[in-house]
Amino acid sequence: MKHKEFFRFETMLVCVLGLEILIFNKTGTNFGTQGNMFEVLRLSTEIGLLALVMTPVIITGGIDLSVGSMLGLCAVVMGKLWRDAGMPPMLAAGCTLVLGAAGGGLNALLITRLNLPPLIVTLGSFSLFRGLAEALTRGVDNFTNFPKSYLFLGQGYLFGVVPAQLPIFAAVSVAIWLLVHRTTYGRSFRAIGFSPEGARYAGIPVRKRLALAYILSGFVSALAALVYVARVGQAKADAGTGYELLAITAVVLGGASIFGGTGSVHSTLLGVLALAVLKIGLTLSDQPGELAGILTGALLLAVLTVEAVARKVSARPLRHSSAVKGI
Amino acid sequence: MTDPLLRLSNITKSFGAVRALKGVSLELLPGEVHALVGENGAGKSTLIKIITGAHQPDGGTIQIDGEAVTHLKPASAHAFGIATIYQQPALFPDLSVIENIAIALEKPSGTRLVRWDDRHARAVELLRRVGAEIEPETEVRRLSMPQQQLVEIARALGAGARILLMDEPTASLTGQEVDLLFALMRGLRANGVAIIYISHRLQEIFQIADRVTVLRDGETVGTRLIGSSQPKEAAIPGKTIAPPESDTFTHAELIHLMVGREVSALFPPAENKPGPQAFSVRDLGCRAAGIQGVSFNIRAGEILGLAGLVGAGRTELARVLFGITPADSGSIELGGKRLEVSSPRDAVAAGLAYLPEDRRRHGVILEMSIAANITMAILARLFPQNWMRFGTERALAQNYIRDLGIKTMSPETRVGALSGGNQQKVALARWLATAPKMLILDEPTQGVDVGAKAEIHKLIRQLAAQGMAVLMISSELPEILGMSDRIAVMRAGKITAIFDGAGADARTVMAAALGKQSNETSGFN
Amino acid sequence: MALGALLLVLALLAPGFFRGGQLLSICSTVIPVLLVACGISLVIISRQIDISVGSQFAFCSILAGLLIQAHWPMPLAALAAIGAGACCGAFNGALIAGLGLPSIVVTLATMVTWREGLRWWRQGEFVHDLPETFQWFGLGQAGGQTAVLFITALVFTIMVLGTKYLSAGRFVYAVGSDAEAARLAGIRPHVVTFGVFVIMGALTGLAALLNAVRFNDVDPRTGTGLELQSIAAAVVGGVAISGGRGSLWGVLAGVLLLACIAPALVFLRLPPQWEKALQGGIILLAVTADGWRTVRASRSSLS
Repeated sequence: MKHKEFFRFETMLVCVLGLEILIFNKTGTNFGTQGNMFEVLRLSTEIGLLALVMTPVIITGGIDLSVGSMLGLCAVVMGKLWRDAGMPPMLAAGCTLVLGAAGGGLNALLITRLNLPPLIVTLGSFSLFRGLAEALTRGVDNFTNFPKSYLFLGQGYLFGVVPAQLPIFAAVSVAIWLLVHRTTYGRSFRAIGFSPEGARYAGIPVRKRLALAYILSGFVSALAALVYVARVGQAKADAGTGYELLAITAVVLGGASIFGGTGSVHSTLLGVLALAVLKIGLTLSDQPGELAGILTGALLLAVLTVEAVARKVSARPLRHSSAVKGI
Repeated sequence: MTDPLLRLSNITKSFGAVRALKGVSLELLPGEVHALVGENGAGKSTLIKIITGAHQPDGGTIQIDGEAVTHLKPASAHAFGIATIYQQPALFPDLSVIENIAIALEKPSGTRLVRWDDRHARAVELLRRVGAEIEPETEVRRLSMPQQQLVEIARALGAGARILLMDEPTASLTGQEVDLLFALMRGLRANGVAIIYISHRLQEIFQIADRVTVLRDGETVGTRLIGSSQPKEAAIPGKTIAPPESDTFTHAELIHLMVGREVSALFPPAENKPGPQAFSVRDLGCRAAGIQGVSFNIRAGEILGLAGLVGAGRTELARVLFGITPADSGSIELGGKRLEVSSPRDAVAAGLAYLPEDRRRHGVILEMSIAANITMAILARLFPQNWMRFGTERALAQNYIRDLGIKTMSPETRVGALSGGNQQKVALARWLATAPKMLILDEPTQGVDVGAKAEIHKLIRQLAAQGMAVLMISSELPEILGMSDRIAVMRAGKITAIFDGAGADARTVMAAALGKQSNETSGFN
Repeated sequence: MALGALLLVLALLAPGFFRGGQLLSICSTVIPVLLVACGISLVIISRQIDISVGSQFAFCSILAGLLIQAHWPMPLAALAAIGAGACCGAFNGALIAGLGLPSIVVTLATMVTWREGLRWWRQGEFVHDLPETFQWFGLGQAGGQTAVLFITALVFTIMVLGTKYLSAGRFVYAVGSDAEAARLAGIRPHVVTFGVFVIMGALTGLAALLNAVRFNDVDPRTGTGLELQSIAAAVVGGVAISGGRGSLWGVLAGVLLLACIAPALVFLRLPPQWEKALQGGIILLAVTADGWRTVRASRSSLS
């Protein structure tokens, strides 16, 4: 039964993706080229990373609205450590990753120790992290002139063709896929998403698992920040604005229920791809950037509507049979 | 001759290919308590839904007050004075008692002005009628279950209910609260209200019902009178004791009617010989759970029944032992080793297992598969590198499906699609898979039909025979008496008595549960 | 309570804060947030959420400006703005109540769609050249502020009375507490949910108008962060995310508290960039305090 639902979402997404590719091939200049394909992947790395790590969070029935702000904060901290504290880029990057994990830890602490709803906690940290980023830069500071060796991460090519951040993206994708679909941690995430109390009574360490999900979220947000700064070559406080919403959109497009328990990493990746292709296709077709946003919202609504209507149509016979069994 | 308030004649109802009701006839007279019994799957829920207008029958007739009624809808059922009290109260937890009563009674028109004074007065009046001592301003979430039930009954009365359907109303009540409820029901009966009383607790039916109708496989197989026509002894709180000998014959007859076969092996005989002491608890206390000074032992292969009224602290004790609310004082020893249990995870690692009382919320995860549920407590043990191997999981699940007789097509079926008895078996399988040294069962056969009950009892006996120490919490006295080697009784968070199996009977156990003096020598082991 | 503490701190450190004009100007910035926060509280009490209010706000503001620019009379333009907001709310409501889609996802989608749509339409352009009757309704600053205050007080009072004395208002609490029980009692949860989103939209439209008249042009970027502010104000003011409980007076206190941060920073001579951080910190503190209280309460009672 679970498989059937995924099947529907995944096939819908694949259809959408196919449609996008067909349309943009006709309307866009240089759309179908290999170079463009890689550009799509390059530009979707940051949001892709956020969406990847958002997947286990949503599977546990939670949400993390702070990933975009964390990206901004980490970007700014990276810049500050490198420029003002004079750290070598590697060290600064390492410290930034630690900061990301710590921020995730703050979310985890409030959510697991005080049982606060993740929506509100991460809404607060969304504001707090962005605020700290703005405070650190006094709203205007912009860190630039990073060393070429660092910028290679975001702007360079391996073997002349493959964008440098792709291996990172691929590695994280595989790691999170394995985590969610092949480890006991992933099984725990699903159990917690369906029934946190039920999971607890089964001996699952709910707090530790949730903490893992949110700390990981912070860590990968920091990683995404590093890639972002390398790609655009500068670190401003508004980095990553709106990214959390795109990440959540990708995950939900991929069929995850916002209430938890369902969702898959490969579907999320399809969602990320659908969004990225949409944006780039529109750009190459000389369409205004805002159209991407409009169509993204419309796409999300359309996909959910189709799924809801399909569920309603097929649910009628189902309800009766369960009414008999449940006596 | 008074017209029956409600008469169902030859009601049939099918859902697709499944014939839920094949011909049910039921008559309800004003001022009677009419019990409705039947195994799970016999058709009780469907019948209730038809009476309340939620479903339409395919065939047969419904008559209310002698008039035929077609197309009964929930609104018209409501208008006829049919009200239902479910096990889970359909109340608004965040709203006050006043508002809960008011919303049910007022017409659902959005444009009306709310008169809080009227609402307050009406609530106070209705609460008085049901004898509830509740502050009307209290939020319903702060009330206990029996208090919530009283609010529901008050609501039904306020709505002018003439037919009250009560679905397992005593599931979470203490003996005293059951008495109060029965007294209330007798008062309602005297006022001409008819009550359809659905329960698995056969001894209660013999206490309160005037007639009983038995459903089996979608058909009525009989309607009998209960007890004599002499007026029953007025209920004195605390005097709820096992039914007198003369009813045990009718008791068995009733079960026979329900199941269609003799269920003599409901409580299999004890064949186990208890071994050395396996599990011991000394002076255990937990302030948050209301437990203090609890001490007892269980030997390997022994079943210790834990009796007591609801609210005595038995489930709370289980939760302390299992680490859900860890103890602040005292010690727990298993197999001679002292345990530090601060979470369910620790408990499982130490060799404890707990089959919780609330099956649907704590015992299983309904949305996940049978296989996933069975392995849930042993994930770390089964897959030490945290790497899932689904083949292994499926094979393990298949073994338990076979051994426990779980009726399912495949181990991937959602547990939510199974019947109550099968769900309980899945829950049990989960804990057996942990190979525990000590198993705590909390109401293991609650909401399970008679056939599955017998199977589960047999399983428990087998486990004991294999050397497991078992702590069995049950509110059904026959189950405690029939299954336990020794019986411990709890009251107000403490253990008040421990009896040897032979030296205990219903009277002594109840007396200890109520805190009265008993003639038996009772002592702590 | 927290509001009192903050005010006390301010009184000690910067008595100049309490001068009349200052307070009045705080009030006028607070008005739009208050109205939106009230609307969003209704949504949250009914166990939903709406993060598209910022985009709705911007859209209604621009619409009002454009209509006035086209020489529509003010009352008509005002009604149009409110109506537009109500339509946005109706769209959300139809999907959420009609199809049962989760509100966070639907409003996420509509937020993005409307915001981007607006940006595309206006290309960042302000609405200029507004007739004099626009700013402050042509009444001048003091007069206009009073009018705005009066209208807001009126609407707020209606809402407070409505949630207490109108049965439809009580239905919102019932549906948020337990939608199934509400249905059994004859209430129609879908209608209530739909209505709540429409009211939310209408309030947003009104708030947009009352905010827009403070200036003599309309900035299309207005309303950014409004969803955060209003949800924060509601939560700080005691509205529970789980639905079924919350009082509009608490929301008022929450709004005032959060609104005082920015000017307080100025008076305390702290850099203004700390506003967002402080806002986030206060939200976390308020929710933490509430969570702590709940944990302590459950620890002392039988689980």
